[in-house]
Amino acid sequence: MSNVVELEHVTKTFGKHVAVNDLSLNVPAGSIYGFIGPNGSGKTTTLRMIMRIYYPDSGSGHIRVLGEEGYGAANDRIGYLPEERGLYKKMKVREVLRFYAELKGLRDCHTAASDWLERMGLAEWANKKVETLSKGMAQKVQFISAVIARPELVILDEPFSGLDPVNADVLRDAVLELRRGGATVIFSTHDMAVAERMCDFVFMIFKGNKVLDGTLESIQNRYGQDTIRVCLAEGNGDLRGLEHVEKVTDFGRFKELRIRPGADTQAVLAALMQRGRVAHFELTRPSLHDIFVRIAGPESAGGANGRQSEAANVGRA
Amino acid sequence: MRKTLVIAVREYQAAVKTKAFLISLILMPVLFGGSILIRMLMRDRVDTRDKRVAVVDPSGQVFEAIAAAAAQRNEAEIPEDANRWQRDAGIYKVVEGARKQVRPRYLFEEVKPDGRPIEEIGFELSERVRNKELFAYVLIGRGVIEGARSPEGIVAYHSNSPTYDEIEDWLARPLAVRLRTLRAQQAGIDPAVVESVTAPAAVANLGLVSKDAEGRVKPAEATNILANIFMPMGLMMLMFMMIMIGAQPLLQSVIEEKMQRIAEVLLGSVTPFELMLGKLLGMVGVSLTMATLYLCGGYYVVHRAGYGSFFPSELMWWFVVFQSLAVLMYGAIFIAVGAAVTDLKEAQSLVTPVMLVVVAPMFVWMNIVREPSSTLAIVASLFPPATPMLMLMRQAVPPGVPAWQPALGIALVVLTTLVCVLLAGRIFRVGILMQGKGAKVGEMFRWALRG
Repeated sequence: MSNVVELEHVTKTFGKHVAVNDLSLNVPAGSIYGFIGPNGSGKTTTLRMIMRIYYPDSGSGHIRVLGEEGYGAANDRIGYLPEERGLYKKMKVREVLRFYAELKGLRDCHTAASDWLERMGLAEWANKKVETLSKGMAQKVQFISAVIARPELVILDEPFSGLDPVNADVLRDAVLELRRGGATVIFSTHDMAVAERMCDFVFMIFKGNKVLDGTLESIQNRYGQDTIRVCLAEGNGDLRGLEHVEKVTDFGRFKELRIRPGADTQAVLAALMQRGRVAHFELTRPSLHDIFVRIAGPESAGGANGRQSEAANVGRA
Repeated sequence: MRKTLVIAVREYQAAVKTKAFLISLILMPVLFGGSILIRMLMRDRVDTRDKRVAVVDPSGQVFEAIAAAAAQRNEAEIPEDANRWQRDAGIYKVVEGARKQVRPRYLFEEVKPDGRPIEEIGFELSERVRNKELFAYVLIGRGVIEGARSPEGIVAYHSNSPTYDEIEDWLARPLAVRLRTLRAQQAGIDPAVVESVTAPAAVANLGLVSKDAEGRVKPAEATNILANIFMPMGLMMLMFMMIMIGAQPLLQSVIEEKMQRIAEVLLGSVTPFELMLGKLLGMVGVSLTMATLYLCGGYYVVHRAGYGSFFPSELMWWFVVFQSLAVLMYGAIFIAVGAAVTDLKEAQSLVTPVMLVVVAPMFVWMNIVREPSSTLAIVASLFPPATPMLMLMRQAVPPGVPAWQPALGIALVVLTTLVCVLLAGRIFRVGILMQGKGAKVGEMFRWALRG
């Protein structure tokens, strides 16, 4: 399987701030690649570099996209949905779509546009101005504009943020169908559940450095089965101070316990039964969410909040 | 190039398909023509109430002449034919009942000094002016007839309306004629002889004599100073308006693309330079659309009105060339500004210096039309930012300019335009993706120079 995107030792700095540091990444053809990471950690910068909107610092490695280095015809084969949506407010939906399709070299997009609008439930909005659309509708229009020219590589920066579950499902199905049609999909998200369910590969960047890269399984395997999901039917639910337990994450009804390496899970169960009726007890691998928090949360060495938000500000500039 | 055209077409449609475009298309000739029209209409809307003027004439020899001249004026000049627009080459046909008073009548009354001191009479008449019984009064000095070089030799016009100078202006001629007659009589010369010997010669303003195709000498034609001045000025104003009207939508669309984050989508498909070039071409298209409409309309009107020789058709082609270059040159700067700022307000303050350069030809156009081949005119019209407007203007004044000058002008403008587009492209590339605060002028220069 060939790689659609190849980054080799790529660094990008803005002034003194290092947005992306010595990053290497390969995206195999036909895969769905999830980019995760806290705000301002370098996701968008990386995506922009793949789009050739930004160029890496001179002399800092190579980016090859669809077999091409540097800006070229390959960009016509890439669809891009930026994080912050941009549509001409005064244009009609169909005009916007035609404009973006023409920019990608697609001359006749009428049928494609109708099909997509139909699918996204926007058929009757085709001749309305963009400014009359709701936020969710505009987001779907923007998505169509990114994929209307049948790109081989689709780059979506947080495509699901702000969508209701119905629309999120519509969009997810569309993404999966693009993949079935042979396209490679890269998307960034803050929704770990989406990343877990959809992505063949997950890539996490934190403060410009790659911290995770691989299939979900290989990432989870690095952490082993160190998590217990528990639901207690009775009791006050306070699980603090349990022996062998490193950390308790309270989700309300369910709680996740991270146990110390090598600890006896039966002992934990016994201790739990002292606290109340155990309705659910599941030995599992850590969720992506949990892994994310372990790397980027307050408990991690580098995750001090103040510095993180500072990094976020500079990254946006 | 294909993508540049796609951008240009969208830009063009976005600008042309708006109500604002249609309104400004109609409004501009209305504003221009309207000011002329209003002046024409307002010409007749003057105060036609009688203006009473008292005259103190110690000599007793001047008043009668003034009163007679005023009576003649009141009778002949004040009323105008109601349908005077149809009147023929200045021939005045008085249609009974259709005459309408368009100017105030001047009614002169004599005030005898009767031996009273002149200051006292002056105060008395001033009081009457204040009470609106009189509009003004005139004191004719005792030494006027002799032409005394002292206060006695002055005709004093007193009024409480310092800005209304029509009576004062009108008075000069009957006074001069009367004084000439009186002085001639004193000197024992026949006044008729004086009039004939002092009659001024009329000076006619003509062009040059040339030969036609068969070698016959063509007589020179009378010069039309107004047409020769207004044609170049009109062309310059039109170009100026085109730049102004084109600049605003361009600034707005760049700012919209930047702030609505459209630029990021576009830059995923085109290079910043292609994007900028597309926008520029779109603006050239918009301004040429407007200019073509006005030029063709103007050409038709001018030729119909018989002033065709002042507007040769090759001037239109020069206009198109210079207009396109001007739009590219200034448009590039506007785009760079739009990319560097975050809102229209910020843009306005940055654009002001550019606007001053655009406006600069307005300050010198009169000198240049009068003397189109002076050193000032040549140098100014070869200064690239001013070349499109000033060179075109000089070309519009007969007999035009030597061919090397527009050629050199265009070469310099093309060079300047390329530099502008290149530098603006650099500012655009950096600025368009920058969010948050706008860029400072210093930063923009750094982006432009560093590349």
